[in-house]
Amino acid sequence: MILRSVLLGSTIAAGVAVLLAQPAAAAPWKRGFVVGEYGFAFRYGGRAGGSETEPAADCARGSATHFNDEGEMRKALGRQPWRSKQEIDYIVAPPEIDKARLPTYVRFYVWGRAVSYRGWRKGIETYINPFAAHDPGQPEVVSRISDGFNLDGNQKTGGFISPDGERGVDNALYRAWGCDAPFRNPASGTLDLRENTQMQEGLYTVVIRISGNQDPMNDNDATVEIGYSPDKIVRDARANVAPDYSYRMVKSEQYTKLKARIVNGVVETEQVGELHVPRIGWFPDQMGDADFHKGKLKLKIDADGRNASGFVGGYRNWLDLLSENTFAQTGAEQGIRDHEDAVGLYYALKRNADGMPDPKTGRNTGISMAYRIKAVPAHVVDPATPAQVRRPAEDEKRRKGFEMVKAAMVKAVSTRIVQEVPLGTGEAQFPAMERTIADLPSKDFFLQHFDAPGKLDENGKVIMPKPKSEPQRQVKNGVATTVASAEDDDQ
Amino acid sequence: MRKKVLLAVAALLAASAAIPAWAAAGGQVTGLRRLSEQEYRNSIADVFGKDITVSGMFEPQVRMGGLVATSTAVLSVTPVGFDSFSKMADSIALQVTSDKHRKLVPCAPASAKEADDACAAQFFSHYGLLLFRRPLTADEVKARVNLARVMTKSGSDFYAGLRYGLAEMLQSPNFLFRKEVAVPAGGKTLTLDPYSRATRLSYLMWDTTPDSDLLQAAQTGELNTAPGLEKQVMRLLASPRLDNGMRAFFTDMLELDTFDNVSKDPLIYAKWSGPMASSAKEETLRSTIDLALHQNGDMRDLMTTRKTFINRSLAAIYDVDFTFDGDWMPYEFPKDSGRSGVVTQVSMLSMFSHPGQSSPTKRGVALMDIFLCEPTPTPPANVDFSAVNDTHGPLKTVRERLLAHATTPTCASCHNHSDPIGLSLEGFDTIGQRRLTENGQSIDLSATIKGKSFKDGAGLGQFLHDDPKYPACLARKLYAYGTGVNSEDVETSAFKTTYKSFVDSGYRMRALIKGLVESPEFFNMPAPAAADASDGKTKLALH
Amino acid sequence: MKLHRRTLLRGMFQGSAAVMGVPFLDCFLDGKGQALAATGQRLPTRFSTFFFGLGLTTKLWVPQKAGLDYDITTQLKPLEPFKKKMNVFSGMRVMVDDNPNFQHWSGNAAIVTGIAPTRASQFDSKTIDQTVADVISRGARFKTVAAAASGDPKHCYSSLGGANTLPAEPTPLSLYTRLFGPGFQDPSKADWKPDPQVMLQQSVLSAVADERKDFMKNLGSGDRDRMDQYFTSVRESELQIAAELQRPEVVAKVAIPSAPDDMVVNYALPNVRQVTPLMAKLGALAMATDQTRVFNLAISEPGSNIYVPGDPLGYHITTHMEAIDLNLGYQPRVAEYNIYSMELLAATIKEMDSIPEGDGTLLDHSLLMAYSDQSYAKIHAVDGIPIMLAGNANGRMKTGFHIAGGGNPVSRVGLTVQKALGLAADGWGKGSMETKSAYAELLA
Repeated sequence: MILRSVLLGSTIAAGVAVLLAQPAAAAPWKRGFVVGEYGFAFRYGGRAGGSETEPAADCARGSATHFNDEGEMRKALGRQPWRSKQEIDYIVAPPEIDKARLPTYVRFYVWGRAVSYRGWRKGIETYINPFAAHDPGQPEVVSRISDGFNLDGNQKTGGFISPDGERGVDNALYRAWGCDAPFRNPASGTLDLRENTQMQEGLYTVVIRISGNQDPMNDNDATVEIGYSPDKIVRDARANVAPDYSYRMVKSEQYTKLKARIVNGVVETEQVGELHVPRIGWFPDQMGDADFHKGKLKLKIDADGRNASGFVGGYRNWLDLLSENTFAQTGAEQGIRDHEDAVGLYYALKRNADGMPDPKTGRNTGISMAYRIKAVPAHVVDPATPAQVRRPAEDEKRRKGFEMVKAAMVKAVSTRIVQEVPLGTGEAQFPAMERTIADLPSKDFFLQHFDAPGKLDENGKVIMPKPKSEPQRQVKNGVATTVASAEDDDQ
Repeated sequence: MRKKVLLAVAALLAASAAIPAWAAAGGQVTGLRRLSEQEYRNSIADVFGKDITVSGMFEPQVRMGGLVATSTAVLSVTPVGFDSFSKMADSIALQVTSDKHRKLVPCAPASAKEADDACAAQFFSHYGLLLFRRPLTADEVKARVNLARVMTKSGSDFYAGLRYGLAEMLQSPNFLFRKEVAVPAGGKTLTLDPYSRATRLSYLMWDTTPDSDLLQAAQTGELNTAPGLEKQVMRLLASPRLDNGMRAFFTDMLELDTFDNVSKDPLIYAKWSGPMASSAKEETLRSTIDLALHQNGDMRDLMTTRKTFINRSLAAIYDVDFTFDGDWMPYEFPKDSGRSGVVTQVSMLSMFSHPGQSSPTKRGVALMDIFLCEPTPTPPANVDFSAVNDTHGPLKTVRERLLAHATTPTCASCHNHSDPIGLSLEGFDTIGQRRLTENGQSIDLSATIKGKSFKDGAGLGQFLHDDPKYPACLARKLYAYGTGVNSEDVETSAFKTTYKSFVDSGYRMRALIKGLVESPEFFNMPAPAAADASDGKTKLALH
Repeated sequence: MKLHRRTLLRGMFQGSAAVMGVPFLDCFLDGKGQALAATGQRLPTRFSTFFFGLGLTTKLWVPQKAGLDYDITTQLKPLEPFKKKMNVFSGMRVMVDDNPNFQHWSGNAAIVTGIAPTRASQFDSKTIDQTVADVISRGARFKTVAAAASGDPKHCYSSLGGANTLPAEPTPLSLYTRLFGPGFQDPSKADWKPDPQVMLQQSVLSAVADERKDFMKNLGSGDRDRMDQYFTSVRESELQIAAELQRPEVVAKVAIPSAPDDMVVNYALPNVRQVTPLMAKLGALAMATDQTRVFNLAISEPGSNIYVPGDPLGYHITTHMEAIDLNLGYQPRVAEYNIYSMELLAATIKEMDSIPEGDGTLLDHSLLMAYSDQSYAKIHAVDGIPIMLAGNANGRMKTGFHIAGGGNPVSRVGLTVQKALGLAADGWGKGSMETKSAYAELLA
């Protein structure tokens, strides 16, 4: 597998060894790293080379399956008492689908619209309003071993033991989402693979710099800095992350500086109230802040002093997590394509939330988690002239759409008041479904029975609401605009 | 600016229309140098402007006596090469005569649909002078005008006529080859005629076709006088375009085109990818030109300076911080880095080295040839390389294996000559990274050449710095480059004056150039005793 | 000129220290490499492209061995009958530099332009078939022709640059009509006319040749020899041009079939299987009768929507949705779909190899480039997109090789293609994919 050999890629052949002299005496030192692998710290319990569907110690029945086939669709749609049998039959197997030019897409979008509306009554879009749908169930991780940190210092909470034997590891996100198909097993989980490929292809760069005054392998007064670099990852002739390249570290919102102790090459930072680091993702608009409350970072430097691997973790607001994952494209997209159910993931988060209690309600707004990190040596430098992380203009359009949908979901969940789907964002596969079924003979059935966030005009364009006196987005008066949506890219 | 050029050229043409100097009785062609790719491109850009795109395949070059420039004096044009020149000529002519570049035509025809011999003549005279680097004879102009007339008729387009006439000139041997004509200069010497001088000066110093000032100095005969020559030389030296000329020279002397054929084993040296080769080449050129021309430094320091310029890719090989302040940053290696001058730059270290391991022999042979003008003969055909290349045997370092292999008497004579240089550079792997051990064993960086011992890159640098053969070699190669003679065939006396100016100035490059072009040996040559003595080629039956 | 041991050609062979001493005057003369038809006329070389979406499964298609005699893997099996006439390229990389990696776009755009596209669905330069057609299709009736077996005229990856692509013929009948309907130019008929451009070139060369006498004045014998060579080269060009002014002999033994029926053309696999060979045959006939010398065929768009009737997901969605089989280590359904692409490629090559022409077949006098958009469609990876070449380009391309690209840019294949077709290309591509080095071991 091309990508998995990424990090251990600085193979040193029999012919030549490159050894740098290690300073033995106390002297100021610094070491830089560029992150080559970055994703959820979900420990895969299956055998090496196994797939995400394999039953194993972590997920007794393998990864969760949702919307995989007609049977599962019927199960999911059967929970809505307001759906007739005919409707379910038609959704599961749209009549005369073979007469459509793109039957596979027809099915994809019809299913997508269907699963976007699974409320207790008709008309509620349940990716924005997950509380209004039945909990479809999300199998949780059953094993006791997990990477991560004991965030609350309490060995009795958390329920996990780290591979090194540390008790009380708090990684409730792993428990909640560890059997989610796209993230189970970094070697085959489709979104884990995807986000890492995109990062290595230059979507974003995370750099780490460790410095101290004593010795790189043992120092009780070290400093760890982590943040974005505007410089793209450079890959070598074997498509691995190339070592020893220089990267600037920018002091943006995602820059954090921490105190640390190093013992035999293991770097452990202090635990801080808020640790800001770059967020994982596979689309440009997902780039942003992962703020870990009570966060800390731990890295193990290899014996040869070159590569490093470890974790950064803490408690994160679980609504942030949910929206970042669900609305990367649309809720239904990842549902049908990657067999995830964001409604199930919502309930799983709610059940497992174990931190950041709301002062008023006492309910946990955060969940313990960690990102795993594999890093390669780099020269991390401060920019000579002010520099910023790349934020191309096209991404801003998508980002706005994301923010709108997220805001709607957060409001819905917090207030328990059903929110509408913001138009022009593509959520609920609108208007993708309407457009795709245009040549389906049975399309009228779906147009009549399906809920839709809005309407299309006679030209097939979304009818946008009239701009308010203070437009929330830049809208030319009288001209309908669309915020970039999931339609703009493919599956 | 363009208008100024047009006026200047027009003036030149008016003055020189009568008798072209080069056609004077007794003129002999003493040199015929095919344009190199870079010279071709630069010439087109200077004659027609940078907007004109030149794309096509140029024939491969051959290095002779350490310089590619020498081969231009002996190579011809093959059918494939001519085909390519033909296509490029047509493409350039098409662009020049297109509507978009109408300003390039210095006159307007009476009718755009019909022939206009006067305007065509003006066009061909103008560009003929610039392209052939001398004024055209009346007959030559007439031939093109006639061709243009025929072409115009067939398409009812005046500019089509110009296009085909111009295309013809661009594939003419008068453009593709620099004809050097020498006329008697009293006694038994010949001297290059003024236009040949202008051409030689321009391609040496600016790597391009003579500009209108230089052509003017040729036309008036100024160039054949000492003060006239000096004036032009000072002008050419003072210009930033001298950088281009010297870049071309050093690219040739330092054999930087070797990169076209360098590949490194991606399994072992995955870091060598992407822009690494072009970056290494640019580093060497930048640092050399900076020392030679911008700092006006002592050229011996090229062997010892720790100052260079690097970009982000090179910073990864040198394993240093890159500041991102522009694409290139000046950098000075610390004293203990082992780096010393151009011989320890990534370019020299990686070009003369195998894909998967370093090669003291290749490095030694190359550096001896490049900097000391001491080439090494090729090895005999039946050498067994298996022991040298066995990385799994008992001998752990390349050095150990090489020395073992080179003890055979037949091998030792050459190897002792060139290996020591390479052995002192074994502290750098095949892509130029520093290493102190190889296969777990620490590397011995000591070397001895003709009784002188030194150690590692810094020692080598100092050794070369102190060796008088190096500056002599540099002078010899500049002479060969400028005249097209094989550097191995150059008599020391031919560049004695040049060398003296160089040494006296404290080894400054500008002094070397000035000394060279103002030396009697540069433009003068003895009259040949027999008709064919000036070249040593095997005679073939003429048909 | 003294010839001694030091006069060497160095570095002619990639990476190795091969060194040759050669006699100077003959050193760079090369044969044209064009096959001569039975009548002594030169046959033009043709170029084809074949695009298939969604790549292959690396584990199942990349041979273990590189070079000649490589192992035919499961997914290359359909191509086995043509192994000797093909080259396959694995491990070729697309470097996007500062540009985004556009899903289902950057890969295929880079392969046909050598440039990472700055916008999705756009090409940053002319595509390779157009560049090639500029040179080899002079004198043919159509400069290029394109067809899409999916039935969508937008599925064409031939462009002059930017967002516009040439429209593809969407059905066999429309392709037939274009080629052999009204306006069909039969070269064996009397009304064939030579390209007027070529006649003008003849005059120019003649003028160059006329310079000989004047130029040779006052030359020493060595220089005379060199200039003899130069003027010989001019003469050769004149001869070549003269040949182009003669009507091409159609030496292919072909019969133009009658028009195909109207049929359903869509993404259903049985239809694609019926339409593709038919379009391939028509394209081959077009090239054999000099209607065109550049033919582009696409069996799908980059995110191929081909489906097997009864499979509700179809190819594209399956690549994303199907899990990796825990025993096999790959996506089994996807692997099946991959093979269909290879079967269709084999059918296309077969059509070209079935037309006898001169001393061989149309395929021998052509070059076909097959390529895709992704190497691992599930995650939109672009490292190792499968690229294949078929045909010997009139003897200029050696075949039978598996080239393990080792991370080399895909532009090297495009450059090799151009050189084999006789283009004077010194380099190709931009940015990190800029290359001056073709696969010399494949060029005859």
